[in-house]
Amino acid sequence: MVTVTIDGKALEVPEGITVLRAAQSAGIEIPTLCDHPHLTPYGGCRLCLVEVEGYRTLQPSCTLPVSNNMVIKTNTKKVLDARKFVLTLIFSERNHFCPYCQVSGGDCELQNAAYHEGMTHWPLQPNWQPYPVDASHPYIIIDNNRCILCRRCVRACDELIGNFTLGFEERGARSILVADTGVPFGESTCVSCGSCIQVCPTGAMIDRWSSYLGHEVKFDSTKTICVACSIGCGIEVFSRDNNLVRIDGDWDKPISSGVLCDLGRFKPMVEKCDRIFTPMVRKNGTLKAATWEDALSAAASGLKSARPKIAALISTRQPVESLHLFKQLFADQLSAELATTLEEGAKTALLASSADELGKPFESKLEELKSSDAVLVVADDLVLEHQVAGFFIKRNLPKGTSLVVVDKATNNLGKLANKSLNPSSGSFEDVFVGLSAAVAKLGLAKSKKNISAETLSKAAAATGLATEDFLDAAFLLASATNPVIVYASKALSSALRDFASLINAKLVSLKGEANSLAASQLHLDKPFSPAGVNAVYVALGDDEITQKMVKEIEKIPFKVVQATYASALTAGADVLFPSTNWLEQTGHYISADGHVQEALQSLKPAEDVLSVRETLLKLAERLGLSLDENWSKDVHSRVAPVLIEN
Amino acid sequence: MTKPKISSDWMAGCAGCHMSLLDMDERIALVAELAELRSTPITDLKHPDESGVDVGILEGGINNTSNEEVARLMRSRCKILVALGDCAVFGGVPAMRNFFTLEETLRRAYVETESTDESGKIPSDPELAVPTKVRAVSEVVPVDVFVPGCPPDADTIFYVLSELAQGRTPDLKGDKLSWY
Repeated sequence: MVTVTIDGKALEVPEGITVLRAAQSAGIEIPTLCDHPHLTPYGGCRLCLVEVEGYRTLQPSCTLPVSNNMVIKTNTKKVLDARKFVLTLIFSERNHFCPYCQVSGGDCELQNAAYHEGMTHWPLQPNWQPYPVDASHPYIIIDNNRCILCRRCVRACDELIGNFTLGFEERGARSILVADTGVPFGESTCVSCGSCIQVCPTGAMIDRWSSYLGHEVKFDSTKTICVACSIGCGIEVFSRDNNLVRIDGDWDKPISSGVLCDLGRFKPMVEKCDRIFTPMVRKNGTLKAATWEDALSAAASGLKSARPKIAALISTRQPVESLHLFKQLFADQLSAELATTLEEGAKTALLASSADELGKPFESKLEELKSSDAVLVVADDLVLEHQVAGFFIKRNLPKGTSLVVVDKATNNLGKLANKSLNPSSGSFEDVFVGLSAAVAKLGLAKSKKNISAETLSKAAAATGLATEDFLDAAFLLASATNPVIVYASKALSSALRDFASLINAKLVSLKGEANSLAASQLHLDKPFSPAGVNAVYVALGDDEITQKMVKEIEKIPFKVVQATYASALTAGADVLFPSTNWLEQTGHYISADGHVQEALQSLKPAEDVLSVRETLLKLAERLGLSLDENWSKDVHSRVAPVLIEN
Repeated sequence: MTKPKISSDWMAGCAGCHMSLLDMDERIALVAELAELRSTPITDLKHPDESGVDVGILEGGINNTSNEEVARLMRSRCKILVALGDCAVFGGVPAMRNFFTLEETLRRAYVETESTDESGKIPSDPELAVPTKVRAVSEVVPVDVFVPGCPPDADTIFYVLSELAQGRTPDLKGDKLSWY
């Protein structure tokens, strides 16, 4: 700790922090523009200039580290004049005319800074130089005329996402924000995570959807979680008059700390589907609108007469509450022949059996990736799915983290990897046996294991890889201090677990949809077959269903479906219940690495549209059955692959 | 003591700031009690008194030689010059044309508009004012009080006028300071 004095206030602050952070920790406000708490200090805008005793000139507080007995003044006339001058220069450089800007009126940090300094006008007029606007991207518009060159977007793209798409061309006043080597943004390597628009302090980067729909103060906001995959990123949902306006990453949620992918940020905005608003019952071959009473009666009597030849399917996008009621109603009370999920346990069954075999969790938290110095990715293309996990890896590569990719298919992470292994034959098991043998041969094993000398060459022969490939990959992973293995569950075997323990690696797997792990914990993980089933209940919600599964369901005589959107499945239903979508319901989710989080309702559903949870309770009542809503015990009734934290 | 005299005029603007001034409603009577309203675009008198006024208010930016004359006349006949609204303070919406050449703008306006046939031509009558780049009032004559806003709120205008009428300099901050 060091002692500093800021505006006459003596403070004890940790060594190495900046003057800006020291001031903020004491509640002393210093205006900033280029600074962002989640990005490395840059010192580009000069708005945060302060006076430091003994220094000849004003210093940018965002990049100046504190030193012992430093005396800092943040509100002298010299500082206040400098701030106004800095703002004057920024305003004069480009087109910062507020009346025709989307963020003006509260959402612009530049305008707010000028108000804060009491500026009624610009002492210098702009130079009237037009700069390019790039509207080629499907979600984002870059308007260089509004840019203040703070490079927050560039830093976010580099440091948070590891994508390195954004950069600056030219120097000084000619600087312009470009994608890649100056290609149109929409044709660039951009992955549409949208972090750049979330950090942009002005209207230089805006998103097409929420632009000109009003200012943030007019919006309702709900902090909740994304349910697009099993990572469980924190989001903030903005709405106006019950219409979805924008989704931002929630900086304060620990899992991804504000980072989102396109599925979380933009896809919910652009999705256009026909909603189902009313219950329907098939009469004389056609689906007709019905009351909830009639629809529930029809469903109940159909299920009763088919019992126990019932198959029940639920989406893993549903909260634990729904999964738990579903399991009780169908598996326990109605003794249905099959109660499972639409994923049929494909992403979790192997993990669950490994956990059963070991009798304890064997996986680690996703956050291990943030501090890992070597990552092995097995059969999971983190550029296409679970992208945020991919961001955690990609952003660490420039810091020296090694990446090894093992995949039989083309893996988009492969081209970023230090070593990419593409076995042309054999199994993943063969690859891990080979890697273990290579580690042993290199003498880098962290635990004793007897591996015969010819194992490596046998593995090479089985997989079609060279022994050097194994040795290179093994060296990168085994010489790291905190190696992490991210694997697709289909690649799990005792050989993988043995390899992990041999190099002391943490195991992490992603689990498919938002609540796949919870479904697995509730034993909803069996494969589906329509054979010998007389009735089916599909709690689809706002999920999608494969054509193959729809075809199989069609064979079943009596079909009850609860869905948000119209589809081939709903068209063939005998009883159809309307369902809320993910934003209109509340409930808990268990992330891939065992975090239990609550998703909150951010939009109100239309009248007559109920959640799967409410519908199951009503249906049970109709069947004369009572269900227990306490789910937290039941998700622990089985050993989980990863520790579930309540 | 005689009441301070106030005059106003408009240039390259949309008249919205004067509309916002009228939005003061019955408070105009209060201002009239404190000050004498002289020439304005919405009263009969069209030019500020030759003997001078205390406060001159200008709406709009300066986009031709005629605007320049209006601004210079007001400046020469008032003690305190107020730039009212974003166009007067910054150049505002008309200043968007500064990102193009004057020729491009005139061609777009008089020749290339979708409703213009081949007879469209840029007006060149020598009696017309000559268009210039759009400038904020302060680029042409010195301004004493800046009241930004598009338009400034009626409450803000009332505050500014009542302060000036009582011989004080308005200090715009907090909710009175809004560029838009």
